[in-house]
Amino acid sequence: MARYLLKRLPSTLVVLLAASFLIFVMIRLVPGDPVTALAGPDATEEARAAIRADLGLDRPVLTQYVVWLGQVLTLDLGRSYRLGGQVSDLLATGAANTLVLTITALLLATAIALVASTVGVIADKKWLNAILSAINTVAVAVPTFVTGLVMVLLFAVLLPILPAGGTPPAGYLARIDITVQYLLLPAVCLALPASAALTRFLTESLRTQLRQPYVMTARALGIPRRRIVLTQALRNALPSALTVLGIQFGTLLGGAVLVEAIFSWPGLGRLIEQGISARDYPVVQVLLLLSVAVFVLTQLVTDVLHAALDPRVRLAGSTPGGK
Amino acid sequence: MSAEIIIPGELDDSLDPTQHDVRPQRRRALTQGRGLVGLVLVGIVVVLGFAAPLLAPYSPNEQIPGANLLGPSSTHWLGTDEVNRDVFSRMVHGIRVDLLVVFLAVPLGAILGSLVGLVTSWWRITDVLTQRVFDVILAFPSLILAIALSAFLGPGLWTVVIVIVAAELPVFGRLVRTSLRTVREMPFVEAAEVVGAGPLWVLRRHVLPNSLEPLTIQLAVSMSVAVFIEGAMSFLGLGVRPPAASLGSLIRDGVRTMYDAPYFAVGPLLVVVALVLGLLLISQALAESRRA
Repeated sequence: MARYLLKRLPSTLVVLLAASFLIFVMIRLVPGDPVTALAGPDATEEARAAIRADLGLDRPVLTQYVVWLGQVLTLDLGRSYRLGGQVSDLLATGAANTLVLTITALLLATAIALVASTVGVIADKKWLNAILSAINTVAVAVPTFVTGLVMVLLFAVLLPILPAGGTPPAGYLARIDITVQYLLLPAVCLALPASAALTRFLTESLRTQLRQPYVMTARALGIPRRRIVLTQALRNALPSALTVLGIQFGTLLGGAVLVEAIFSWPGLGRLIEQGISARDYPVVQVLLLLSVAVFVLTQLVTDVLHAALDPRVRLAGSTPGGK
Repeated sequence: MSAEIIIPGELDDSLDPTQHDVRPQRRRALTQGRGLVGLVLVGIVVVLGFAAPLLAPYSPNEQIPGANLLGPSSTHWLGTDEVNRDVFSRMVHGIRVDLLVVFLAVPLGAILGSLVGLVTSWWRITDVLTQRVFDVILAFPSLILAIALSAFLGPGLWTVVIVIVAAELPVFGRLVRTSLRTVREMPFVEAAEVVGAGPLWVLRRHVLPNSLEPLTIQLAVSMSVAVFIEGAMSFLGLGVRPPAASLGSLIRDGVRTMYDAPYFAVGPLLVVVALVLGLLLISQALAESRRA
């Protein structure tokens, strides 16, 4: 496993480095000058120069990039231009809220997928499978902004039982009822597509497991189908499901941008939206880099975990015939 | 050329698995079951979009005096918006934006990606370089790529098109490269090369027929993703600029006036779902007929 990690790590780092440079250059090229935005249109040329020097914007782009990279690596992210305060503080608050939302969604998706796939496989009824498959296709197909909107329409506008979104009061996690009120709609909205992908995958691998000889042996020994599915088949199907779960975590963080916009959830997605409209370079840069880093690293971690659980993956690159 | 030398064109086609005709199967995939449902759903949306000038009772940006945030009625099928425009007229015209994105941007990205994948994977150096560039692009979740690019390009319809081309290019590049490699290692291709088949012949005769199926399936998947990206970008205010309408921007407007006119967004929402679901069903049907 360590060797596999060592093999994968360099290319991951190169990708991250290239992506960070791309982000930095792209944000530099954004039309609109942050100095004008900060100093106002009437500022004197000296005042503008002072601001420019203060922000380090007078140095060559490459120098700025290296300085920025050093700051990112030492977690010294500097001040936000427009949104106020330290970038790291903004980031910490946003990240905490986004993590709460994403993890809730991930747990919800896993629970739905486990129930739907095991029930479908154990019951093994044609009509049930048809219904589950239809629900699944719809859940994959309907975009998050559509489900989000429909849920707001149903549960906040037409039948006002839940808030349409917004910032929950500080320390909301201590009060279960408030947490549920604010978190339920966005979390379900975020969880639905992920749960559909996971259900489809788990069902497929459970079915494959059930065709294995050991299942036939177990059946011959008189062990009921339900027990075989829940104990042996599920355990064998889980490692590869973990990979799918990991990829879903990456996409969930991307989807969080939309869900946070719909429900005004005060997370990283909302921050990136505000940062872009305020031309707040330091905030947007770090957020873009962060989302790329999380996406790439989750892929790495899931691949490594997969390799740890399945020796064939680990050895694939080192066999003599392998290409 | 002397008679003893077998020229590639004379190889017995019955031994070549690529000559196995899959077309009847594909046709069946789209005329029954979910493939048919998908085709009908997409067909309805396409007709709505193409016939927009005939169907729309008003011009999409026309402000109708006295018709502020009306509910659905016989004169305004989907009601009117906050600046007195007919939502149905805006919707059928907005569909055209999504059709442009689906049937122009995605195929453009697919063709460019396939060409890049095809050409660069022939030589080791260009192959490695291209794959690393693809790695970097694919490191951006599509919505994050959309946000980054639209910060740089500014919001607008062409930004949406560029984002979709940029997001799909590496997907197709990868796909073509993978099938190219798989096909090139097959015994019948080695055999063809042994008897003197050149790269172009292998490409035309073996690689293309074998890559076509996965490419069609990916095309359908990517088209449904494109509808999602357009909707998401316009929803976040990064898509078409007002007063132009797209399905995503109409949904965005619908959210703003949700408490006054709750049914405003229902029409555009249904069309988005029909389009995404339809394309996804087509891709599933194609994938299934391939496995069968």
